[in-house]
Formats: sequence, C-alpha cells, structure tokens
Amino acid sequence: MVDLSVQIGKLRLPFPTLMGSGCYGSGEEFAPFVDLARIGAVVLKSVTRAPRLGNPTPRLVHTPAGMLNAIGLQNPGIDWYLDHDVAKFASRPCAVIGSVAGFSIDDYAYVCERLAARDEIAAIELNISCPNVADEGETFACDPKLTSRVVAAARATTDKTLIVKLSPNVTDIASIALEAQRAGADALAVINTVRGMAIDTAMWRPRLGNVTGGLSGAAIRPIAVLAVYEVARAVTIPIVGQGGIETTSDALEFFLAGASAISIGTANFTDPRIPERIVDELAAYLAERNCHSLAQIVGKANVGFANRHQYEGDEG
Amino acid sequence: MVHHARVTDRQDLAPEIVLLGFDAPELVRVTKPGQFVMTVPRNGETAATALGVYEAQSGRASLIFFVVGKRTRELANLRVGDHLDVVGPLGNGFTIGPERDVAIVAGGVGIASVLLPARAYLRLGARVRLFYGARSAALLVERERFAREGCEVLVATDDGSDGHRGFVTDLLARESPAETILACGPSPMLRAVARVAGECNVPAQLSLEETFACGVGGCWGCVVPLARASAQAPSFPPAAENGSDVVNARICKEGPVFLASELRW
Repeated sequence: MVDLSVQIGKLRLPFPTLMGSGCYGSGEEFAPFVDLARIGAVVLKSVTRAPRLGNPTPRLVHTPAGMLNAIGLQNPGIDWYLDHDVAKFASRPCAVIGSVAGFSIDDYAYVCERLAARDEIAAIELNISCPNVADEGETFACDPKLTSRVVAAARATTDKTLIVKLSPNVTDIASIALEAQRAGADALAVINTVRGMAIDTAMWRPRLGNVTGGLSGAAIRPIAVLAVYEVARAVTIPIVGQGGIETTSDALEFFLAGASAISIGTANFTDPRIPERIVDELAAYLAERNCHSLAQIVGKANVGFANRHQYEGDEG
Repeated sequence: MVHHARVTDRQDLAPEIVLLGFDAPELVRVTKPGQFVMTVPRNGETAATALGVYEAQSGRASLIFFVVGKRTRELANLRVGDHLDVVGPLGNGFTIGPERDVAIVAGGVGIASVLLPARAYLRLGARVRLFYGARSAALLVERERFAREGCEVLVATDDGSDGHRGFVTDLLARESPAETILACGPSPMLRAVARVAGECNVPAQLSLEETFACGVGGCWGCVVPLARASAQAPSFPPAAENGSDVVNARICKEGPVFLASELRW
C-alpha cells in the first residue's frame, strides 16, 4: 500500500490532490461526476467582505493549451456566505478549504477570522494574488512587505492551517514566499494564474470584458514548475503546486520540483475524472519504484545531474 | 453521468455542419428538451465542448455543430465505431407547458436544441411553428426533419436563397402570435425574439449561448444578468456595484434557458 497522504500545516489529507479555488464551485457541482471521497480537498471559491457582482462578460476565452479567465471574484459576501452556504460544506466527503480575498489588510483579517471560526472549514487559503479585479487584487502578492503584513494579519486571527496563494506575476517569487513563511504561513499555493490578454482581430477589441485576465492550463505549466522549484529552495513549509496539471506525469513534475501536494483546476473542465485518475496512477507509479510514500519523491529532481549533463555537452 | 458512448452516425449536413450520433442509452433516458452535454476531448485540449442534445431516442443521441475550431474539428473527424465520452445532461432545459400554439425560433445550428421541445409539444397535440433562419438555404439543415415530425416550417435566409430574405425574427413578428415562444440561436437573434415577444406580450424561453469552461456551475465564467426577483436567480444579496435589482446567473447551471422577461442584458 503506497501512502499518498499529505500533511499541510495541521491539515492531514488522505490524497495530495486539491481542487483549485474558483474552478470547482463548492464541490457539489462536480459530485455527479466524481467520487469526492477520493480527492484530497476542495478549495472553495474566494469570498470577500462585501457581495460582488463580478466582471462583465465575456469572462472566458479559450487560448492555445489553456484559457484566460476574468471572473472578478463574484461572490455573495462573507455575511450571506456564513449564513447560507457554509453549513452545507459539512456534508462533503472531503476536506473543504475556505478561500479569502480582499482589498485591504483589514478585509483579509476580518473575512479570515470569521470564516476560519467555522467548523466546516478545515483550513484557509489566502488569495492575495487574484489578477482579475481592477483595484489591488494582486498587489499584495507582488510586494514582499504587503505580503508579510497581510499574512501576519490573517495569521493573528486563526490557528487553522493558513495557505498563502502566490502570484507568478513577480520578478522574484522566492523572496515573496519567504516573507509569507516568516509572517506565519503554514503552506504556499504556487501559482495563481499568469496575467494575459487576447484581442478580437475582427472587432479590434479585447476578448475579455475585463480586458485582461489570468491564463491557466497546460500553457503555464513550465512557469509553475519553475516557480515551485524556486520557492521550494527558499522555504521549509509545504508547497501546493499548481498550474496546468492534466496528467500523472505533470503532477510528478511538481512533486519532484518540491511540491508536497498539487492542485487541479482547469483540467477538471476537460475531464472531471482526471483527479481520480492521477491518484490511481500515482500510487501505481510509486509502487513500481518501490516507494512506500509520496513524500519520498518530493523535491527529488536531480538538478545536479542536469547541470553536469549540460556541461558535458558544452565541451569545446 | 460520464457516458462512454460509441459513434453510430456521422453526417455532413452542409459544408462545415456535422451531425454526430452515438449510443448512450442512459443519457437518452434522462435528457430533457433543451439540455446540453460536454464532449470530453481525447488529446489534451484544455476545454470540453458544450453542445445541445439534438436527438435522443431509442438509446441514441446526436449533436449538430459548426466546425469552427480545433475542438469541433476533432469531433468532426470521429468515425462510426469511435468512442466519445460525454458528460451530461446538463442545464435546465425548456419548460414544456399546456400551450396549444407554439412558436419555435432557431438560428443556424441553434436548430440542434429545438427538436426535442418541438417533439414534446407535438406529442401534447400543440400546433408547432418552426421559424428557422440561416445565412443561406444550404445551411437550413434538418428542416425536412422538423416538417416530418409535424412542425409548420417557415424559413428566412440572409441572402434570400430560400424563404424570407432577412431576419427570421421579421417573420416571427409578421405571423400571428403564438401562445409561447422557444428560441435558440445567436445572441442578436435572441434579443430580437425577446423584443418581439415583449411587443405581443407572449412569454419567451431563450436558450443562451456563451463560452463555457466547466459547464457544470463550478467556475462562474458564463453568466448573464437576471432580475433578482427571478426564480432562476441565485439567491445572492445585492452587490454594491449594481444596486439591488440584478444578479449574475450561470448560463450552464441556472440556464441555459431563461425567460426573456427576466433577463437584464
């Protein structure tokens, strides 16, 4: 029996597969197609202090090997959410991780405290990297000092596992990861979407109502693998790797780069059976290599070998 | 609700318009008129393709689609005997009521979503008129099929190659009003249907199109503004940006069929 369980802060999950925030509703939308008991956790859609209508349509554009989205954090606000939605999460057969977004440090602390106080919520993901809101959505994750302050403020409100979701749209993601760890993050989600844009050449206008959006899918996978690799060398807390994971081989790249768990988002839109398939194949892969646990391969990409190979090929 | 289907029929109905039939008895058993499926791509493309269920009878379902990109090209390249995974049925579908005189408006491959509701009304003994518009006569696919089912078929083409030259909604406005209208087609046509329906005070159910990602209500990518008072509106509190009367509903989940009178688009 291969042990696929993973420890993220205080949270123990039977499988290393999280379903990405904003991609999976609250889990029940996918329940007809998936055995939720066989996924690690659902990360809920982000909730903010006030209700939000979200961005105008079109909110989605399919692009080569991926898609752009600009949903704009449509959500009912924390008051309504706590009163109407959260109780339903208790019946999910998997862990449910709340996601908190905001526009000020006070917003994050306020929403985090109220959401984390609920028993139905196993952990909190701090979405400090949404690229799709006009003001400030991504600012926090693009500035080490703001990252530090917002994480510290959220940390002070709860003892539950705090996962901080980082943006790839930065010069040095490792330095921001380190600030998040110092400020008390239990784990890091790496990465959020990559900023992008598509233009309708017939109409001479942006294809997204929000003009810009966040790119996801296979197109960003190498960007995400590198980000996980760089962050893993900088921090000691677990990393939830994400960005274009569609197959078991993709997932293995993230584990070998240093992720303890993975998150699957856009691939669920291709085929909702993908998360279960990856768990099955991962177990088989590890068993074939006489590994008794997933943890054995985390961060084991042999970078020294790659370098040596390069130098050998470089002679002359 | 993921159906592992086998392709049983593949026809070129017109240049770049394909009908794909497949065995999916469980899907056929539960599909309601106006619902859709997501076809699962085989080669790692990033999104599934949402298509209305055209036919669903005797264990076999079919889809009709324009070949517009890589995904629909891949579907068009399937052959009889190939396997096709479909997720569904999804969405709410049309509400079939007691009306005795029904107008169905279809634009282009919107025809794919109206065979089942037409048949449902015909079986209840209603008069069903199909108002069918396309760019040209060659693209009015399956019109004989609707006639055989028992519909009165009135057509319009942009180029005048058959029927009324101009918009199908001009025809709709010109003919005697029905008791209810069902429509599926491009957004400009649906807006015109809503206008005509409003003018003659006839309820209209519109099947909307939008780019989907998940198709099951998980991503909130395919929304349309709806009156907050609508029974289909998600029960959200008022958002600061819009006062109190509008809420964004998911086309894939709360729809794709909405009452024209409740849309705030």
